[in-house]
Formats: sequence, C-alpha cells, structure tokens
Amino acid sequence: MPLASAFFEQDAAAVFALNQDGAFQRVNARFATLLGQPAAPLTGTGFVQCLPATEQTRAQQHLARALAGEAVCYEAGAAGAAASGVVFMLVPLVADGRVSGVYGTALPAAISPEHPADVMLDAIADVAFVLAVEAKGRYRFTFVNKAFEKATGLPGAKVVGSYVHDIIPEPSLSLVLDKYQQAVNTAERVSWLETSDCPAGRRVGEVSVMPLLDSAGKCSQLVGVVHNMTELKEGEEALRVSNERYQYALKATTDALYDWNIAADTLYWGEGFATLFGHQVVPNPGRFSTWASYVHDSEKKSVVDGLRHAAFQTQDAFWQHEYRFRRADGSWACVFDRGYILRDAQGQPVRMIGAMQDITERKEAEIRQSLMAAKLMDQNADLQQFAYIVSHNLRAPLANALGYADLLSRIDRHAEVFDNSLQNLHASLRQLDGILSDVNNILSARDKQTGYRPEPVAVAAVCRQALFGLEELLHECGGELHNEIPETLRLPGSRAYFHSIFHNLISNAIKYRSDSRPLLIRIQAVAGPGSGTTILFSDNGMGFDAEQFGQEIFQLYRRFHKHRPGRGIGLFLVKAHVESMGGQISVSSRVNEGTRFTLFFSAPNANLPD
Amino acid sequence: MRTYLIDDDALGVYLTEQLLRAEGFSTDISAFQCPKMALDVLIKATTTMDDTVVFLDLNMPLMNGWQFLDALAPYKDKLLGHCHIYILTSSLALADLEKSRQYDLVAGLIHKPIDSEEIHAIQDQLANKTGAE
Repeated sequence: MPLASAFFEQDAAAVFALNQDGAFQRVNARFATLLGQPAAPLTGTGFVQCLPATEQTRAQQHLARALAGEAVCYEAGAAGAAASGVVFMLVPLVADGRVSGVYGTALPAAISPEHPADVMLDAIADVAFVLAVEAKGRYRFTFVNKAFEKATGLPGAKVVGSYVHDIIPEPSLSLVLDKYQQAVNTAERVSWLETSDCPAGRRVGEVSVMPLLDSAGKCSQLVGVVHNMTELKEGEEALRVSNERYQYALKATTDALYDWNIAADTLYWGEGFATLFGHQVVPNPGRFSTWASYVHDSEKKSVVDGLRHAAFQTQDAFWQHEYRFRRADGSWACVFDRGYILRDAQGQPVRMIGAMQDITERKEAEIRQSLMAAKLMDQNADLQQFAYIVSHNLRAPLANALGYADLLSRIDRHAEVFDNSLQNLHASLRQLDGILSDVNNILSARDKQTGYRPEPVAVAAVCRQALFGLEELLHECGGELHNEIPETLRLPGSRAYFHSIFHNLISNAIKYRSDSRPLLIRIQAVAGPGSGTTILFSDNGMGFDAEQFGQEIFQLYRRFHKHRPGRGIGLFLVKAHVESMGGQISVSSRVNEGTRFTLFFSAPNANLPD
Repeated sequence: MRTYLIDDDALGVYLTEQLLRAEGFSTDISAFQCPKMALDVLIKATTTMDDTVVFLDLNMPLMNGWQFLDALAPYKDKLLGHCHIYILTSSLALADLEKSRQYDLVAGLIHKPIDSEEIHAIQDQLANKTGAE
C-alpha cells in the first residue's frame, strides 16, 4: 500500500515506514530529528540497526511481531538524540492478505509513561479513533483522541464503548458503515470526504480508515484518521456563495460590466455587453481596440484618447463619459460609461473595472421632451401674437364703425359728409366681416394640423389648378408664368395646402408686380439639399427690403406695401401650410428686382435633377 | 391749432378729421397715410415753433407708431412744448399704454374712436399748457 507523502510530512508526530525486511522506506523530518540523524541516509538502513545496541534485541522482537501482523506498542530506552525513553507504535501494513511493511510512530516516553499509544494519538492534530470490528457489520469505538472530542464536541467517555450507529446520525451513518465495510473486505485503506453535523457544528473532513489484521489475518480493528477541512471548506463555501451572488448581480444588471487589463490591453466583458449591443464576446477577454472601434468616430478622440489620458497621465481613480456606441446591427446606442481605475503603489494603472449603461431611451425621451417644450413655447408665442394681432385688427374696423355711427347722429343728413360717413360705416363693417373670415381660416388651418395625414401630391398639377381664377388677372397685366415643376414630382402632403400655397404666392406676385416690366413668374423644383426637395418660386416684381424686414414678411397682418391693398394674411397662411407639411419656407428679395421664395421639403424624390 | 393725423387707414383718417371738425377742434388738419412723409414735414416745421397736435396711429406698415417716435427722438428738445403727440389706436392692449409713458413727447393715449369728451379734454389740456407758459 503506497503511503501518502502528505500523511508523512503533515503529521505532527514522528512517523516512519518500514518494508517487509524491517528497513526504512521513508521517515519524516520529525522522526529524523528525534533520532538526531539526517533523514535521507536513513532510507534503506534497518530499523533495528539505527537504535543503540542495548535496544536492538527488544526492538528485533517487537518488529518481528509487527511483521507477523500484530499492532505493537512498546517503550524503548534512549534512542539517538532522545535522552529519555521513546514509545514506538508499530502497525502492520496489509496488502493482498500479506504484511507488506510496518507503519511506525515514535514519541518521547516522558510525556505518557502509562498509555503511550493514547498519548501519541492525542498528540496528533487530526481526529483519530479506533474501532473494534464486531459481527453483523457493527463497529464499536475503542479509542478516540482529544482532537476527536474537540472537533465533534462529544466527550470521549461517552463515545468509547458505544456503537458507531449510536453516535453517528444518518445520513452520514450509512456512508461510513459502507466505507468501513469496504476497508474490512478489501483490507485496504479507504478515504473519503465527509460532512457531518456534530454538536460543535458542521464538520467537513477527509476520513481515512486503515484496517488492522489479527494473527489469523482477519480484520479486527479499524484505525481512523479525520483530517479536518472545515475551515478550508467554509472558506470555499463562502467564496462560492460570494461568486454566485456576483454572478446573479451580473445577470440582474442591464449594464455591460467590464474589466480592463491595462498591461495586456484586453477587456473582459460581462454578459450585459452582448445583451445590450449584440456584439459577440469571442474571445473574452477581447482587445481594447475592438471596443474603441465601436465608439462613434466624432467622439473617438474625446472618449478613447481621453480614457487613455486619464489612465496614464493622471492619478484619477474615476473616469466617466457619455458617448455613442455602435451596436452589432449598425445602429447607435447612447451610453453612459463609468469606471474605477486600480493603480499600483507607484500610481501606474493596473486595471479598470467599469460599466457601460445604455441610456438611449432616456436620451431620446429627453430630446422628445425638449422638442415638445420648444414646440409648446412656439405655439404659446404664436397664440399670444395671434391674440394681440387679431384683437388689434378686429378692433380697428369696429372702432371705425362705432365712430361713424356716432358721427352720423350728429351731422346734417343732407351734407356730403353724411353720405361719405354712411358709406364708410358700410366699408368698416365689411372689413370687420373680412377679418372674421380670416380668423376662421387661420383657426381651421391650425385645427387641421392635428388630423393631418400626408398623401402623395402631384405638385405640378396642383400648381396649374391654383392658377385658375388668377389667369385673367395675369393676362390683363401682360404677365407670364413658367411652371417648370416636373410632372412626375410627388411630394407627401396635402393637396389643399399646396393649392393654397401656390394660389397665395401667385396672387401676391400679381399684386406686387413692377409697373416697369412685364411680370414673369418662375416655379422650379430641384433635388436637395440632402435627400430633400426644394421648390423655388421667383418673380421680377417690386420686391421689398429683405435686409430690413426679412422673415417678418410671414407674420400675420404684417404689410410692406402702402399703395396696394392687402390684409397681410396670405403669406402667414403660406408659411403655416408649408410648416404643417413638415417643410420650411424662406424668402429673399431686392427692391425693384424681384422676390424669391424657397420652399424646402425633406421628403426625398428620385425624379429630380440635381 | 395745426393738426396732423398719421394713420394708414383712410376710413380712420376721414372719421377722425370729421369728428375734430364737428367739435371745432381745428380747421388746419393734414392727414398722412405714410409716417415717413409726416416725419419730414414735422422736422422741417420745428423751425417755425408753431403749436402742433399730432394724432399717431400705432399699427402701420413699413414704419409703425413706435418707430416714428424713435425717429423723432433726436428732435425731442426742439419739439417739447410745441408738439403734442396723442397716440390714437384701436388697440386696447395695456402694454401699449405702458410703453407710451416712456416717451416724453407723448401727451396721451386715446382708444379709437375718439369721442367729443376726449376732444374737449385735449383742448383743455392744451389751453392750460399754453396759459402756463
């Protein structure tokens, strides 16, 4: 039977093994010290021969008994360096029913002159016990050492003499009985790992039982040793629980946790990385540069270089950044990344542990919210302006009507002023009616924005239809209109809006034409900028001072020409309609040269030249 | 009393003129639909030092009433005491009344249409001022 090295070197006692000729096979350091000789040369020399001459005869006799299969314990006189006596215990080692050698322990006799074997076993740090093998697979404790009492919390007096099945509870009992049986049957040492609940608490140990044969070659005793592993096991268990907790924490978090090994320049990723961004983390850890390649180009400098700067050029422990990160499907995630940089004693970065948090939804919500707030502010400002202007413009003809009614009551009804005033009263009331219908138009234009559904509109055709009713005016003044919009152009929007836009722009162009040249209106459509479509509406009319008035021209009831009638509502409606369809309108103009309106729609159209 | 009406609304100008005449306010009434023309005339007239009453509309294209007053500001010292500007507006906005108080040249703000009581009040106000000088 091979003897475990650990058994030799870990044992607190002086131990040795002899072969079947009684020569040392192995000794531990403690035994060599006891003899006062170096350990190595002892191997191969006889047990008897290394003892003082006075001891050799007795030693020879006891060794012979042990080699015959009997466990022997005797006290010898001074041995080697040991000034006083030494107690030897010689236990035969049995393999295949034959004695193959002897396992021995030595202990200074001074410690226990009465029960040397017990003292020796007590000196062993591990739990030790001896069982008597009885009939019907029953085992009785005949000895337990102090370590046994300490580890189990059971007093030795209660245990010794008791049967194993009265001391050890199930489920351990079935296991140990099984193992004992195995040792008895095979006559070989049996070892296993056992967890048992004792009065002193849960114990984990590596148990070995060694069968001892009697003179008839039958296994009559079992010597058991339990190497206590409770603390080790508890440590392992604590580590396992902690690891498990960490694993669940990793699963529970939606963040992508990482561990940047700075020397190797690799990143170890938690599960979140694949879940959040869809990237395969093979191999894991992967290269730092792979992560860097997913950072948005415009932010690489501030994020990747910034991180390296923080790690290598500063003593910062924390780093955080918000940036865009490419997902596996090519879309962009907005992430908030926070990391903790571990440094060595010299302040050099060693690792960084951190987490990437996907804040895309939050960001989008913030953007939506600020857009909504801006839109509400705009609408509120619009409403205030609308209320002011409408009250002002509504009240102007009303005030006139009131004044004329007052005047009429006080002047001679045959005077010229009376007739004029009566006509003016009518004119004022018609103006009032006109303003009210404007208000109605504006309000309905606003209302329609909510239920608006875009449809493809054939812009060129709608432009032609908008000219109906204006053709006569155009021809009267000798004007021409060039509609150069391609017939194939379709823009998503509302027919009615496009009709109103063109009708208002054309009638404005006619109204504010120049008297010094025939009116020429040109309407074109071009692709761009970007993927959008631009409609250009230009005339060679009077124009206005765009530098001074600029985009005010689109404001409600703003008027820029004194000698031509106008209510200042047309361009307000044009702008409202363009914006309802998601478009933008701007104007450029020069006095006496002409005016150009630029209408931009972001919807793409493939049928246009650049 | 020389009187200028500055208002782009022809109906309003005619009405105010007839109401002033009916109350015997003035026979020397000039109407300007373009504030810029009125501005030129008023600046030239500063040399004569004749008393002038101006009824100024606020809501006008190209140059509104406030812009007119701002354009007149450099001549303020010459005009004070001789030129009495009344804002005559159809607006009922309080903001306009508050703003009008920032202009020393503005003697008052009247909501259209002007009535006989308001005309008499202006006459009294002017008589007191000229009497005090």
